[in-house]
Formats: sequence, structure tokens, C-alpha cells
Amino acid sequence: MLRILRTTSFRFTLIYVVLFSGAVAALGAYLYSATFGEAAKQTDAVIEGEIAVLADLFSSSGPGMLTRVIRGRTAWADDSIYMLIGAPSGAVLAGNLTALPPEALTAEGDFFNFKFERSIFDAAGEEVIQQREARGKFMRFRSSPEAEQSYLIVVARDVASRQFLRNRSQSVVTRIALVTIAFGVVIGLLFSRALLRRVEVVNKTARAIRGGDLSQRIPETGAGDELDHLSTNLNAMLDQIERLMAGMRDVSDNIAHDLRSPLTRIRNRLSDALEQDAEAKDKALRATIDDSERMLATFNALLSIARIQSGEGAGAMEVTDLVAIVEEMAELYEPAAQEAGFDIILITAPTPPVKGSRELVSQAVANFLDNALKYAAGGKRIELKVQPAKYGGAILSVSDDGPGVDVKDRDRILERFVRLEESRSTPGNGLGLSLVAAIARAHGATLRFEDGLANADSSGSKKGLRIVMEFPVFAG
Amino acid sequence: MRILLVEDDAEAAAYAAKGLRGAGHVVDHALDGEAGLNMAAAGDYDAYVIDRMLPKMDGLSLLSQRRVDSDDTPALFLSALGEVDDRVSGLKAGGDDYLVKPYAFPELLARVEALGRRRLAPANVTTRYVVGDLELDVITRTIRRASKKIDLQPREFRLLEYLMRHAGQVVTRTMLLENVWEYHFDPQTNVIDVHISRLRSKIDKGFDKPLLKTVRGAGYTLSDED
Repeated sequence: MLRILRTTSFRFTLIYVVLFSGAVAALGAYLYSATFGEAAKQTDAVIEGEIAVLADLFSSSGPGMLTRVIRGRTAWADDSIYMLIGAPSGAVLAGNLTALPPEALTAEGDFFNFKFERSIFDAAGEEVIQQREARGKFMRFRSSPEAEQSYLIVVARDVASRQFLRNRSQSVVTRIALVTIAFGVVIGLLFSRALLRRVEVVNKTARAIRGGDLSQRIPETGAGDELDHLSTNLNAMLDQIERLMAGMRDVSDNIAHDLRSPLTRIRNRLSDALEQDAEAKDKALRATIDDSERMLATFNALLSIARIQSGEGAGAMEVTDLVAIVEEMAELYEPAAQEAGFDIILITAPTPPVKGSRELVSQAVANFLDNALKYAAGGKRIELKVQPAKYGGAILSVSDDGPGVDVKDRDRILERFVRLEESRSTPGNGLGLSLVAAIARAHGATLRFEDGLANADSSGSKKGLRIVMEFPVFAG
Repeated sequence: MRILLVEDDAEAAAYAAKGLRGAGHVVDHALDGEAGLNMAAAGDYDAYVIDRMLPKMDGLSLLSQRRVDSDDTPALFLSALGEVDDRVSGLKAGGDDYLVKPYAFPELLARVEALGRRRLAPANVTTRYVVGDLELDVITRTIRRASKKIDLQPREFRLLEYLMRHAGQVVTRTMLLENVWEYHFDPQTNVIDVHISRLRSKIDKGFDKPLLKTVRGAGYTLSDED
């Protein structure tokens, strides 16, 4: 609950409620002055008028006439209140008040409010004493300027009903205000809770990830709102992090796996050599140097892969002509291929340039050719081909007519240190194609394996292997 | 040759210095960039071998400063980094060559000697190289051995030109790959060896004295001497 109160959306709602209540209060105040204020002024005007009429009557016709008029006016039980008190006697001559209200004397000549009791008859004919409120004016009339005694007169209007209405509307306005505020708070709470629940989903995912489960993702509602966009972006970020983490883990696993055995071998060989003669020691040392060099090569290959994967080693990506690259590589490898019994067949078509690094693409081609020479044993041809891709971009492929790679193994050979059973005996660290995969990714290129060149004298089992690297359309 | 080695890893420095001294060179060693800069300014060296990452002043700044003071002593950078970009920044700072750690010592020796030799035979542009009875003319692009004309493919010509320019020196496979083919990675196949043996069959076959020799564990050398 406390958390809801602290949410941004709840705070916004509160601010809104306060502003809205202020507006309601201002509106109420205006309505009040426009209705009740006006009505009160009117009442006062009526009283003033009545007093003027009575004063006129008094001076022209005397107290007797006044008494009669007042009696006539108070004969009906409406909200008019009069009281006339005789000059010398002090007796009430006419009117419907039993006693002079004490407020009258203090506010002489001015308007005053007072309470009085009035007996009315209810529906059943019973007499009921009612507390009423009234507003009136108290004046003195003299029969002549030199008369010592003056008649006292009170003219008032019963305002109880209006007061009641006013109280009533005040309480209604108050209630409306309270309900509005309560509503606002509740809606704020609901909004905040809904928002909090969605944010909580993100937090929960974040906690799970912090707890070590990197596979967690924020569920996307598909609403397409800003929170959904946030989730999508966060998920994309998490994907990237997971990929990098996986890469790191792979590297450390692989290093542990692939370097532990040569290290163990070195240690064992050296400890054996300790107890042997000089010649055996020399031999052990030389073998150790060879092992160390292989390990260094493995390390360098791993670092290169990591650097290319992180985008760091990608170097300067520039306009690169694949045809020129394969021509140069064919020229570089031709003698070595000849010696191994292969013909390099170069097939190029005019191909749009790609965005890439000559060094890295050349290295990838070198790895393809190294592999072909190493693993396409018994083959005779290596076909190096560059052609435009169907929908823009360029395709570079290297095909051989060797034994090929089983379809089920084709994905695996891109992984680090994976060496198929058939090739365990040949030298190599199993990193060549991983490096190629990293280079392909750095270029946005896709990598796939297909059947290679059909072997003329094969029984069908030798399908060869074609490695296809497809580069995206050059954009800027 | 007098060589200034600026390297903060004492063990790596001792290994390199021992090897270079063993090959008959005089080696001074500085442990950090500032010391290296002072020694370079004070001494007269034939070559600098500078680590990229050094305490107090990095290798690039050290060499840039020397180049500003018009010191054109050839320099080789050593680096544990070693991708293309690093090489480029090293060359921009005035470096003449670049070697990635870990390296095989013969590679370092061959490169340092190549640098020193370049200094001894400076800018006078040679258009004609002669090793024993083998002649190469850069302008006419002709090669003769004992007055007999030899035809080479363009790349073989460049290969031979490089070897002749470094006649008498050891040239490693990596140096050939970098300078003749302009690649900075090592193929797993012995591509260079096969190119060399092809070249050898063209320039040495049928002659009494082989000129293009293999140096075990290091590379090749083109030389008239035995």
C-alpha cells in the first residue's frame, strides 16, 4: 500500500484532485454569491421598503393607523414579521413577536439576525413551537419631533427556510467535494496499482536476472503503449547481454577445456623428464615448446574471435570488392593446392561491392581454403566463386569435392573447438570456422553449408561441401 | 647494431635482449616510456623496439615525440593487442614495423635486422639488385641469372624483389605474407613455403649454387654466401 502511495501516477492523481477540488470550490463560491447573496440583498431591500412605507403611514396617519395596518399584515402566517410597541405604555400594540429580540437594541437602525419561537399548527392540528430565524431592522418613530417617547418598530423577514436551503446546499457542496476527492484518491490508487503492477513485472524480471537467471524476459502485453516499447527495448538489451555473456562463458569453458589437456600433458612430460637423461630432457623440452606454441596459437585465435564478435576487431569497414579478394586468395593458395592435388577453379561474375574488411574477408576465405585442403581428402577440385545475390548483395562460396559433412553435423562445425570424429587426427584447434562465423556476423553476412561439387567417380556418399557466405546489400 | 628496447615486462625484455645480444647486437633496456624517451634522445641507436603499453608514457607518444624531434631511427612496435587497427595506429605514430606478442624470437630478430639494414642503405632508390650471379632490374622487370633470362609471374617477381632487397637477411614467412601479399594473418596451410619452392625451382634449378636458402625455425634467406 505504501508503495502505491509513493508512485508517480498516484502523486499526479493527487495533484489533479487538489486542482479539481479547488476549481469546484471556486465554482461553488460563485454559485453561492450569485444565488444566496442576491436573495439576501433582496430581502434587505424589501424590509427597507416596508419601513419607509410604515414611516410614511405613521407621520401622515398616526400610530392608530399603523397598528391597524400591522395587524392586517400579520393576520396571515407567512414569513413577514412585524412588531409595534406603544410609546408611553411600552405595550405591544400589534405584531407577531412576543418579545423584543435583545439583538434589536444593539443593532438599532441596522440589520440584525435573531432567533425567535413561533407556534404553528401541524397537519394533525397540534400546536408546535418552532425555532425560527429572521433578519430585520429595528426603528423608532416619534409622533412629533418634540415628543419624548417614541414608538418602537421591528420589521423582519423569516429566513429560516432560506437558511435551511443554504445549509443544505453547503452540505451538498461539501459532500460533492468530499466524494470528488475520495473518488480521485481511489481512482489514483487504482491507476497507480495498475501501473505499479506492470512496473512490478519489469522489476520482477530484473530481480530474477540479478538472481542469475539471464533467460528471463519481460512479458510484452502487445498493447503497443510506451510501457510495451520500454519492455521491447529492455528485452532486446537483455538478448544482447545474454549473447555476450554466453560468448564469455563459451570462451572460458573452451579455454578450460582445450588448454587443460595440453597443460596437463606438459606437466606430466616435464616431471617424467626430471628423472631421465639429458637426451630425453631435451626431447621433452622441445615437445613442450611445440605444445606451448600450439596453445599460444589457440589463445590468439580465441582472442581474435572475441574481438571480432565484440565488434572491436572489425576494423575499418569499407567498400570491398569480393572478386579482387578471391582472385588474390586463389593466387596465394594455388601452389599449395596444386601440391595437395587440388585445382582451384575461380568463377567470378560482376558483383556489386560489399561493406567489409579486406583483411577479415580474406582471412575467412583463407580458413575455407585451409579446411578444404585439410579435410576434402581425395578431392580434386576447389571452386572459389563470387556472384551477385538474387536480391542484391553478394555471395561468396567455396566448394570442394571431398567427403563432405553430414547434414546433422553442419551446424555444429561452426561452434568453437568442435572437431568432427573424422578429423580428430589432423592438426588444428577447431577454431577456424568459429572465426569465420564471427567474421560473417561482423559483416552482417549469413553462413550456410550445402552439398558441394558432385564427385564424378563417387558412389553417392561423397557429396563434397559448399560453404556459402552471403553478404547483405551495400548500404552507404 | 645498437638497439634500444623499451619494455616494462622485465622477463619479456630479458628474453628479447638475450636473444638480440646473442645475435651480436648491443641492447640498451628502458623500463618505462619516460626513461625510454630520455635514452633515445641521448643515445645513437640503429633501431628502437618499443612496447605499446608502457608506464609513464605509452609507446606511441614516445615515438611520436622522437619523430617530432626529427629522429628517424627505425622503430618496431611490440603489442599484445594486434588487430589491424592497432597496426595502423602504430604505423601512423611513425613506427616502421609491428609485431604482435607473443612472438617467436626469430621473427623479432629478422624484423629488427631488416629495420637496421634499411637504415644502412637509405633512401637512394635502387632499381637494380644483384646477389651473386642473380640480377633483378625493377624498371625493365627482367631477371637474369648467369646472363640467362628467367621469366617470373608478377607475384613471384615481387617475392624475389623483396628477398633481394633483404639479401643476406633472414626473412620470415609472416614478413613475406605482410610485405608481398599484404595480409596480416597466418594461414594454417604452408602457402608461403610452396611459393618459395616454386620460385626456387625457377631461380636455383640447374645452377650449381643455390641462392635461396631455408633457415630452420625462422624463414628464408637469399644469399650468395655459404
